[in-house]
Amino acid sequence: MSAIRVMVVDDHPMWREGVSRDLTAAGYDVVATSGEGRQAVRIAAAARPDVVVLDLQLPDVSGVEVINGLRAELPGVRILMLSASGEQQDVLDAMKAGATGYLLKSAGQAEFLDAVSRTAAGDTVFTPGLAGLVLGEFRRLAVAPAAGARDETPKLTERETEVLRLVAKGLSYRQIAERLVLSHRTVQNHVQNTLGKLQLHNRVELTRYALQNGLAPLGEDPAP
Amino acid sequence: MADARNSGLQAPLWRAIAIYRLAALAYAAFLVVSNVSEYVRPVLAWPVLAVMAAWTIFTTYAYADPARRRMPLLVADQLITMGALTASIWVVGRSGLEAGLPTLAVAWHVAPVICCAVAGGRRGGIAAALAMGATDLVVRAHYDQAAFTGAVLMLLAAIAVGNLVRFAEVAQQRLERAIELEATTRERERLARDIHDSVLQVLALVKRRGAGLDGEAGELARLAGEQEAALRTLVAGRQPADPIGDDLDLMALLQTYASADVTVSGPAGAVRLPARTAKELNAAVAAALDNVVRHCDPGTKVYLFVEDEPAEVVVTVRDDGCGIEPDRLAQAEAQGRLGVVQSIRGRVTDLGGRVRIVSAPGEGTEVEMTVPRAPIS
Repeated sequence: MSAIRVMVVDDHPMWREGVSRDLTAAGYDVVATSGEGRQAVRIAAAARPDVVVLDLQLPDVSGVEVINGLRAELPGVRILMLSASGEQQDVLDAMKAGATGYLLKSAGQAEFLDAVSRTAAGDTVFTPGLAGLVLGEFRRLAVAPAAGARDETPKLTERETEVLRLVAKGLSYRQIAERLVLSHRTVQNHVQNTLGKLQLHNRVELTRYALQNGLAPLGEDPAP
Repeated sequence: MADARNSGLQAPLWRAIAIYRLAALAYAAFLVVSNVSEYVRPVLAWPVLAVMAAWTIFTTYAYADPARRRMPLLVADQLITMGALTASIWVVGRSGLEAGLPTLAVAWHVAPVICCAVAGGRRGGIAAALAMGATDLVVRAHYDQAAFTGAVLMLLAAIAVGNLVRFAEVAQQRLERAIELEATTRERERLARDIHDSVLQVLALVKRRGAGLDGEAGELARLAGEQEAALRTLVAGRQPADPIGDDLDLMALLQTYASADVTVSGPAGAVRLPARTAKELNAAVAAALDNVVRHCDPGTKVYLFVEDEPAEVVVTVRDDGCGIEPDRLAQAEAQGRLGVVQSIRGRVTDLGGRVRIVSAPGEGTEVEMTVPRAPIS
């Protein structure tokens, strides 16, 4: 099995090197590093990483723009987002745009490597803070006056809400599985579903906005 | 003071004096031309007028340079002007002056007095006005009310200008202080950005690389992590006390507890609550956090979680510490031995809310506070 290809995007060189060294030591293939968002998107197209470790705050473009660019170039790419501080709205926007995981920069080395391996395996990496943000977003959507029909508003199932609340309270997936008598995999799936619903809703909203304003949906040819 | 004198607000005053001096010279020349036939020594009037014109031009340039607005020039100005005034005794003649003919330097002699007032403030102005007024009275040699009025007017003008200059200096200093303050604020913001980009990153890196190590290195990493969290809260500079109308943002209040050991999560936007409710909840959370510090081992992780429901707000404080036996908890509470818990319960019940405490040995403790939103008016 060939090594997982990782790209590190962070504007701080010392951090970039430290993370790259850790990843290489852990058996990953660090195929590229970059300190800027636009450059990262260009390099990613050529380097074709499986996982991008992305700093939310880059000097040139916003996290959302980088994520959109990366996903346009590499539709299957997994993006683990890092941020030094809790810019809550930015974190939420980036997750909705298609990041697959989020970790605080203050996380320990072991926690970080675990997050990268889970991201590479296709799992969603949540922090308690992110779970709180996602729950808050679903509640906001539930009470906000709907733009379209009511049933288009994404809703969480009772189980999903329960799981997210426990994540927000700092319980690990293992602890949640024990408490709710579920398998670890099921807990993971519930978390992943909540993010999936939010991202789908985000895409629907963007498409609706584009159509309403006479723009073609991203990545599709304009209607003849 | 010197800075204020050299800059901004004084320059227009000196220009105004130069213009006044020029206008006064023209007026004096006009009077000389119309009265020259009555002078005792009319021929001498022209050299005096020439000296006055030359001095007017010289002072216009001399006073333009802030460095030269000092004693030597001010005294010379005063003496030359007094000289021109005194020359009237010989040119116009005693009898002419007593009959009411103006002096050669009429009106022109006020300029150096104003100069002294601008350069030396009220005191300088008064001294110069007294000296010049006395000279004028001696030269004109009659001491009626009209003569005194001229001297008094000059004195009042000197006092007024002296005051004006003092106020202008104070205003200038305030302006400079305000500009300085603004620059400092901007600099602080820039520093916050820089700290965010550099120091925070390095601290996080140190914490990360040392996290797995034992002994001193691990301790250093832990310290770096603590400082990173503290510094992050500091530079984030969120204003927790900022009211939104009569409401407070509960998230902003609770965000200040975030540290290496305390995670704060909740919705991205503000959680608005009436100020009293927000403050009481904040105090209840502080008590719960205090309880963790008192009863659990150092390094115990705490999770603060805020849920913003349409009808109520739920705040959960959960720690992963040692926990308590459920029956022991109930027992202690029944005996009134759980001071902190009672303080939490008291505050939340007063707000019409409820508290649920779940704990088990080795599972940590969870304090869930539910408070109804006040009816939206």
